[in-house]
Amino acid sequence: MKSVNQEAVEQDPQQLHEDLHDIWGNPKGLKALTIVNHTTLGLRFMITGMVFFLIGGILAMLVRTQLAMPDQDFMSPEIYNQVTTMHGTVMMFLFAIPMLEGLAIYLIPKMIGARDLVCPRLTSLGYFCYLFGGIILTSSLIIEMAPSSGWFMYTPLSSKEFAPDLGSDFWLLGITFVEISALSAGVELVVSILRTRTQGMALHKMPLFAWYILAMALMIVVGFPPLILGSVLLELERAVGMPFFQVAGGGDPVLWQHLFWLFGHPEVYIIFLPAAGIISTLIPVFAGRPIVGYGWVVAAITIMGFISFGLWVHHMFTIGIPQLAQAFFSAASMLVAVPTAIQVFVWIATLWLGKPKMKLPMLWVMGFLIIFVCGGLTGVMLALVPFNWQVHDTHFVVAHMHYVLVGGMFFPLIAGLYYWLPLFSGRMPSENLGRWGFWLTFLGFNGTFLIMHWTGLLGMPRRIYTYEAGSGWEIFNLLSSISSFVLSAGIAMVLLDIALHFRFGKPAKHNPWNADTLEWANTMPPSAYNFVSLPNVETRHPLWDDPNLPHTMAEGKHSLAVASHGRREMWGTDPISGKVREIIHLPGNSWWPLFAAAALAVVCLSLLTKVYALAGVFVMIAGIFLLRWSWENGAHPKAAPDAGVKPGDPPLHSRTMDGPGLWAMGVFLIANGSFYLSYLFGWFYLWTVSPQWQMPESPPLSLILMGAAGVAVLAGCGVMEKLVRGLRQQRDAGLGAGFYLAAALGALQVGLTGWALWQAELAPTQTSHDAVMLVGLVYALFHGGLAVVLTVLQGLRVGYGYVGAHAPFEPGVVALLWRYNVVTFGLLIGALAVLPRVLGG
Amino acid sequence: MERLNFTHPIHLIVGLTLWSVWFVAVYSGLSVACAVNPPPPEARSLTLLNAGLGGFTLLCAAGLVLLAWGCCRTAKQHQGRQRFHAVVSGWLYLFSAFGVAFAGLPIIGVPPCL
Repeated sequence: MKSVNQEAVEQDPQQLHEDLHDIWGNPKGLKALTIVNHTTLGLRFMITGMVFFLIGGILAMLVRTQLAMPDQDFMSPEIYNQVTTMHGTVMMFLFAIPMLEGLAIYLIPKMIGARDLVCPRLTSLGYFCYLFGGIILTSSLIIEMAPSSGWFMYTPLSSKEFAPDLGSDFWLLGITFVEISALSAGVELVVSILRTRTQGMALHKMPLFAWYILAMALMIVVGFPPLILGSVLLELERAVGMPFFQVAGGGDPVLWQHLFWLFGHPEVYIIFLPAAGIISTLIPVFAGRPIVGYGWVVAAITIMGFISFGLWVHHMFTIGIPQLAQAFFSAASMLVAVPTAIQVFVWIATLWLGKPKMKLPMLWVMGFLIIFVCGGLTGVMLALVPFNWQVHDTHFVVAHMHYVLVGGMFFPLIAGLYYWLPLFSGRMPSENLGRWGFWLTFLGFNGTFLIMHWTGLLGMPRRIYTYEAGSGWEIFNLLSSISSFVLSAGIAMVLLDIALHFRFGKPAKHNPWNADTLEWANTMPPSAYNFVSLPNVETRHPLWDDPNLPHTMAEGKHSLAVASHGRREMWGTDPISGKVREIIHLPGNSWWPLFAAAALAVVCLSLLTKVYALAGVFVMIAGIFLLRWSWENGAHPKAAPDAGVKPGDPPLHSRTMDGPGLWAMGVFLIANGSFYLSYLFGWFYLWTVSPQWQMPESPPLSLILMGAAGVAVLAGCGVMEKLVRGLRQQRDAGLGAGFYLAAALGALQVGLTGWALWQAELAPTQTSHDAVMLVGLVYALFHGGLAVVLTVLQGLRVGYGYVGAHAPFEPGVVALLWRYNVVTFGLLIGALAVLPRVLGG
Repeated sequence: MERLNFTHPIHLIVGLTLWSVWFVAVYSGLSVACAVNPPPPEARSLTLLNAGLGGFTLLCAAGLVLLAWGCCRTAKQHQGRQRFHAVVSGWLYLFSAFGVAFAGLPIIGVPPCL
């Protein structure tokens, strides 16, 4: 193992540990709320996820109790609808995704040899948004006002007419709030994996788990925004009457289905991929050999990431889509079986060629293989249109979904938890209790859901609160319900085992499973900074190739074993080769993420209670908190005022033009672009398909004003680009004035767009045409305004000496937003102002 | 220009991106054509729309096969990381070509707007 800046001087490892702890250590008491460390926040995500899992599980038991016998009145129809809706919602949005994100947040930096995620404050914001959003959403159960339109909230069932109480609003606002968390985790996981792997860890040497998480994170970034858009539109329809999904107003309820499933189908793979990553990590360890076909697995992950976005219409086969379009989606749905099968065969081949040890985690892996393959096969059955029509909306679909999600996510998750438990706590779980837990869960699960396939084939529809005696479904429902309680007992046993092991588990020896990946080079439990020194890793199996590596790392014999500067540092590396590019310095603990999330929670509650003025005030307050947070960056005294590094070390990232913030902005703009493309899809979809779409005879939007606004934003972007080019050449003369000029041009764009909006005299509550147009213009105004504010702040930062030739990083980040604004504004002019004039109604 | 080389990891996603573009183009093209000017049902699958979609599908599949072949040739000239990227990209191009052909197969026999 080599190192570019290996310490020449022998250091006392204990002293080094203490120095690093002073910099990275977590505060206690109230200040624990300021922690931004990935280990702590990853655990918080997972513990919170488990609490929501228990809530979702109790709801499932209520459902099974109700369905155990015919003609039951254990729950009223209204409460039953709330319970089923919340079971699906809690499990999908508040358990599955956050839980896996939490695991990724915890593990990824350790696996890739980094000390933290690249945007620690974003992790913290994401956690609090998740916590507050989850509490708001589940509190609706207590006041018996939970959403009741099914976890996919189909319109018009979820619209004001059929769901007049607050249930749908709880869902729409709560889920959107929680999705801020998912997106923030998605953005930073992508950037962390690409830019903070330890020295030498080229893309093709990365642990497979990191490939899976990279794909999952990118899918979150692209897949979640369509649902956010759909939720925003539906909430606007419910709150102020904009008829996006109402046929009479020129809308279309099917648009909701498209937006929901554009998110909803990839989400199944967003949940499955990290779980498959756990399997691909565990099988080689317990088989005692490298995985067979690393490249095949990478290809399979990539295929899944893409193809899963081409399947959404298979959820809509019964709504009246042309046969040929159905055939496209049917074929695409079958295609996704190919990468799944590649992985299954890779896992089997690895087990076949190795010497598998059937330890506790492997039991869950085997359970996964059996259940998931069965779920995959019924998935291929459902991809066939005639069969799909036959079993649509029956319990067969419910059974299939649980086979895929519980088999494909829950079993691997428990396998992973058992596998990494010694890392979390330094103790081993109980094999006996664990095995009992597995078998009860496995038998209970199959007893519940295998039988449910038959109930479905006999025609029992889903989402009915009871059924008549003599329907032929009684015995199957009773067996499913009894088995579901066996399943619950198994899960309770697992949770008990995990809880007890913290107190009674045997102390684990170091790297107890003889694993090959870097997370096991940590202390158990890990320190806040993960590694005392960062190694050079040029192998896929660092701990198998150099079993002594954990010791040399702990002794500070590798890179960045320095604490005297007082900064939280780690490597910034080339995304492809893993060569060191710069030293990334990370921010320390901060109140701003908590404050911003709390302000957003007040916004959410204000919207729920329809106190819109208060919501407006707290949007401003949240904005101020976020901007204050962004102020403490770069050369700010709380960040890295001193740019000194050791001779031979690369510069700090804030003193370069290519730090992680630039990448984070890029990935965020991909998410934003997905939101925007979904908006354009909605505009063109309604224009083309909606039966009562009303295009005005003369387009209301002034082409002249919009064109002038377009010229202004283009000019502003040009100024920004020129300033960034200058900084690249170490020139910063007139930098501050340049920023103010660009901001003035941005303000001109905002003013002209606002004028065009005012002049258009839209009636957004009358027609979906005007409503969609208004949303597009507000989007442009918001982004224009954001660019102005950020550019003015850059001007101010030049004045304070935080930005300049010595610290040239930030303007490039803001310039990216300007480029984005130019492109989206151009498309907006084309879609809203030019095409209606060219094509007419 | 380095990105144009088949050893660059960008090719890991280009093939499937092209598959996605093909998929969106074919689905939206079909939807718009059926909404604006649907061919007569009695024509079954012998329509200009099917011919256009089929031709576009063939073109895309052929292009992807060519790209796969390019990756295969490049892979033979390299070792290590670059070979890995070229080989995996080659398989992904090939899969994308298969995906285009397989999902586009119904164009031959299914009427477009029924």
